[in-house]
Amino acid sequence: MADRRTRSMKNSNLSRTAVNRASMIALQLQGESSKLLELYRQKESFPADATDGRLVLVPPSSSQLDTRDKLWRLHSALLQTQSLLERAITKEEEELGGGIKGEYENQRKTVKGRLSFLLLTTGNLLKAVDGAASLTPSLEGLELDGPATLFQLKLWLLQVFSEVHHWSKAAVTTLQELLTNAADERSSTTRVRSTRSARR
Amino acid sequence: MPKLIFQHTLKLNCSFPWLICVLVNLLALNTHAQTIPTVPKQVSLSADLSVKELTISWFGGAASTFDLIILRTEFNTSVFYDTISATMNQASGRHEWKWTSAEPLECTSLSVRIRSRDGLATSEWSKMDTFPGRDLPSNNTLQMYPHDRVVEVGSNMTFCCIVKEGKTFKEMLYGNTVMNVTRLSRRSYATTLVNVEPTGVSGSNIVCRLEDLSLDGAVMFVGYPPLPSDFVCETQDLKSAECHWKEARDSHLTGGRRRTRYSVNSRNCNVDLQLTCRLPLWDGNWTLMAENSLGHYSLSDSAELIHRVRPVAPVNLSSVVNAWNATVMWQWTYESYFTLDLNCQVESTNHESKTLHVFSGVGLRSVKLSGLHPDQAYTVRVRCGHQKYFWKWGNWSQTFSFKTQTDVTDPPDVWMWMNKDRTGLVVWKPLGYQQSHGRVTGFEVTLWNPEDVEQHTQILPPNTYSVRVNLTEMASLGVNKKVFATVVVKNIKGASPPSRVPLRFIDEQPLVLSKPVFTNNRLFLFWQQNATNTCNYLVEWLDTSCEHDCPVKWIRVAAGSTNVSIESENFKPGVRYNFSLYSCPSDSPQLITRWQGYTQELVPSRSVPLSVKSQDSKVVITWGEIPLSDRRGFVLGYNVYISNGSELALLANLSSSEMRRYVVKGLSVGNYKFTVKSYTSAGEDTGSTASITLEPFTDALILEMLGALGTITILLIIVTFICYKKRNWVKKAFYPDIPEPKLPGDWSRLQGPLDVRPSPHSMVHIVEKPERDFNKETLVVIPEEEEYFEKDEPVDTDEPMSLRYYNQVVDDRPIRPRFPDSSASSASSLDSGHTDVTYTGIQTSGSSLVFQPDPQGSSEEQPPEVVLYDGGYKPQMHPKVLSDDVVLKSSNPFQESEAASSVGYKPQCSWHLDSPTDTAETSSLAPSLGSPTSVTSTQFLLPDGDGDEKNKQQPSSAAATWFSNLLLSSKP
Repeated sequence: MADRRTRSMKNSNLSRTAVNRASMIALQLQGESSKLLELYRQKESFPADATDGRLVLVPPSSSQLDTRDKLWRLHSALLQTQSLLERAITKEEEELGGGIKGEYENQRKTVKGRLSFLLLTTGNLLKAVDGAASLTPSLEGLELDGPATLFQLKLWLLQVFSEVHHWSKAAVTTLQELLTNAADERSSTTRVRSTRSARR
Repeated sequence: MPKLIFQHTLKLNCSFPWLICVLVNLLALNTHAQTIPTVPKQVSLSADLSVKELTISWFGGAASTFDLIILRTEFNTSVFYDTISATMNQASGRHEWKWTSAEPLECTSLSVRIRSRDGLATSEWSKMDTFPGRDLPSNNTLQMYPHDRVVEVGSNMTFCCIVKEGKTFKEMLYGNTVMNVTRLSRRSYATTLVNVEPTGVSGSNIVCRLEDLSLDGAVMFVGYPPLPSDFVCETQDLKSAECHWKEARDSHLTGGRRRTRYSVNSRNCNVDLQLTCRLPLWDGNWTLMAENSLGHYSLSDSAELIHRVRPVAPVNLSSVVNAWNATVMWQWTYESYFTLDLNCQVESTNHESKTLHVFSGVGLRSVKLSGLHPDQAYTVRVRCGHQKYFWKWGNWSQTFSFKTQTDVTDPPDVWMWMNKDRTGLVVWKPLGYQQSHGRVTGFEVTLWNPEDVEQHTQILPPNTYSVRVNLTEMASLGVNKKVFATVVVKNIKGASPPSRVPLRFIDEQPLVLSKPVFTNNRLFLFWQQNATNTCNYLVEWLDTSCEHDCPVKWIRVAAGSTNVSIESENFKPGVRYNFSLYSCPSDSPQLITRWQGYTQELVPSRSVPLSVKSQDSKVVITWGEIPLSDRRGFVLGYNVYISNGSELALLANLSSSEMRRYVVKGLSVGNYKFTVKSYTSAGEDTGSTASITLEPFTDALILEMLGALGTITILLIIVTFICYKKRNWVKKAFYPDIPEPKLPGDWSRLQGPLDVRPSPHSMVHIVEKPERDFNKETLVVIPEEEEYFEKDEPVDTDEPMSLRYYNQVVDDRPIRPRFPDSSASSASSLDSGHTDVTYTGIQTSGSSLVFQPDPQGSSEEQPPEVVLYDGGYKPQMHPKVLSDDVVLKSSNPFQESEAASSVGYKPQCSWHLDSPTDTAETSSLAPSLGSPTSVTSTQFLLPDGDGDEKNKQQPSSAAATWFSNLLLSSKP
């Protein structure tokens, strides 16, 4: 009970407005990453089912996870995604870049910026829940061994963009859950108070 | 040995000389067979996978010709089989031969066998040597070859896909195109791209897909080798070299490591931003090398330093400014420029107009710009080039701005407009920025005449461009004196030189007004050269419709000119302008010529005032002129239309503006609308419409009527005349003499028509007695009810309002009481208050004139036997029917009805004036005689006792009977 009370207090530090704002950013990122994925597929004439497998490694999602853990998991995934995306952009510029920048390159830049913004927002949410805990999720397993061929590099880029899209969707879902939970907690608190006052 | 067999067969068929030849050959063969080439040994295979080249080396002894066969190991299919020549490497003692494969060498294992050949003699095949492919079972991954290949545009390229063990190949895609595939081995599939097109920065993908949707692929880059051009080196600091070039063709290989690398004189050049390479010293000779994955290209250049000087941009510009000029100064970055022979351009910009000044000099660092205008802002920039060995202009300096000093303004351009009443306007043009030379503070206008000392001066504020003058108010100027107006402009530097204009009303009006020429948005005026005229000209224009204090515009033209063109922006379309050319406008202006016209004609803005009137059977359309200001063009004529429903039909096109009347003839009676539209060269106006209704011609109608009446009158006269001439015959035929009835007693009282007034309730019924013959004539009386409803029927008013009894011939047809001759008369008999009984025949008591007693009893001529009535009037009984016997017989059936109608009319059959017993009855009839009911009868009612008389008069009444029948038969 003490734990719960503590958590509840901690959760109360989580501003509904901040969560809502983060959710909106995630929603924007979802749309933008979807467009980026589409542009890349068109550019490289990749089939729609040309990618599989996950690059980002985080603990599996569970309904047992509390708010802090959910946020930590999301933030960790987004950090890994950002790292992957930055490396992907650098690698692509090195191996395949040059020439005039077009819509694809602009969209890539937009997604990169939006992901950074979402990370900042989720970082602030995590701080609000867990105090000033240091957030250094592991980036193990994300090292690119250097795709042997340019085609493999292109496939890897596709995977990275898919990961960005996947985790933007996951961010929307997680943040919406947090909003719902917060609303439920508030209503139950109000109910308990009213019951107590009625008993008195 | 098939060859041998073949030769033996020849031996059998050939002649002897041939046999000798064959034997010689066999001998030779046997000799060779004895020296069989050695079998190649230690065959070694090595490959350059990037170029798909397989190098085969072996120990082949002395032989230089070999048979070589290359097979795909798995399917044992031959990909190469030929006789080759291979030289022995003297150092290693091995023969070597290179073979380039169409497919990548990784695609599948290849096996090679070689045998030596010496003419026809060959050795045994060497042992099979295999170059392993990547489709060996030990390599159990999905693979694609070749990787990341860069090829030239137009090449053919083969790719192969090695599927995983146990997986099923699905397809190979190039972009979105499914490619045709060749199976090389159990796991290897190949496809070939032919004549490849240039690819994008990131290349094109060739994708291999398996049925389980796993995929691998390869990226291919297609482009061109580098092709640089325009390679030149130059100097700016007079020490180092800066080389530039261009790419004549896009290599399409710009990404990653595939981009072209450049070097000049073996120095690598960084060409991220532009194709430039800097060398610290002037070498004099340079070689550019461009290289990419597909090849390289080199270009050379050589020059002396002094020939390739492109000066740097001047820096630190400054100026010394006056009203009409300025000195611009700058500095050079390198001192070596101080001795350089330079050619410099100075570009000055003022109100977006640019002027280029060119200056020359050694180490040029300052120039004086003249031709500037006072109080103007200028922006200048400078660039230079070598004067003697000009190579290129250097870069432009940064721009530098300054403003010139102010000065007194230019004299204003003054003109005047004088009215007839010695009033007028002195007008001048606003000063442009190049004339004001500073902010204008005001104007000073002075009126004066050369003979008088007195002047009238007026000070006006800035932005005033005209002043009204009234010479009559200035007594000192006199009526006939020459008066001038002088205008001076003032600014902060002082007063401008004065401009003068004589104030004089110019009333000459040339007889002929020319039209100006308007083309290409300009108006052109031409005039004859006047040798005696040495003054300038002035062309003035104004709206033609203006008469008082007109806002004139003008332009000055140099002396000796014969034409001038004026911008159309000065004029409004649709406005008529007067253009006047004056000579000597500043001293004594003389009108040379005058034009009148439009820069652009429009359709009239107002329609003509229209009136329409009829004149006899014609319609006269007249209209007035459109006011000048509304014409908006020269009226060329008028179109007259008649409105035809919703459309206008052209009646006439009057191609003269003077014709303003039109007569329309031949119109019938009716309503007409006429529209008149004036037109200019721009088209028609909207038109004025007037309507008129043509009435019938009444005089003619009256004449026609009079004519008809006259004709009728003449006809009547003729008929009357004829009748008069033939009166005896007419009288005999139509009106034979009627014998005077001889009556006992005083009959004179009954000389007039018998006035019989039926009782208001009397009803007359026609009863046909069954015991009588139906075909006998009966007296028909129309029932009152029917008569009542027949009132609306037309009634022949010419007939007397009498109750008429006709002895109708009863035929097979039913009796039609609606006939006008019966019903109408009956109706009238009921309605009239006074009835005349006209006797057109004499009816005796026993018979009538119509129904003559016929002893033989013709059924058609039998009169009606019985007449019933409700009361009042009783119809006359047929004389024959009314004989005593008949009456007695027939009275019985009527006794009841008579009793029922005890009051009322008694039948006239009992009318016996001579009988004293009947006197009372006769007298009792008197009221009925005075009743308002009229009875018109063609038979005279006579007493029964006159039967003899009747017989006597029978012949004389035959004519009357005939006439009566004629009248009856004429009825419908």
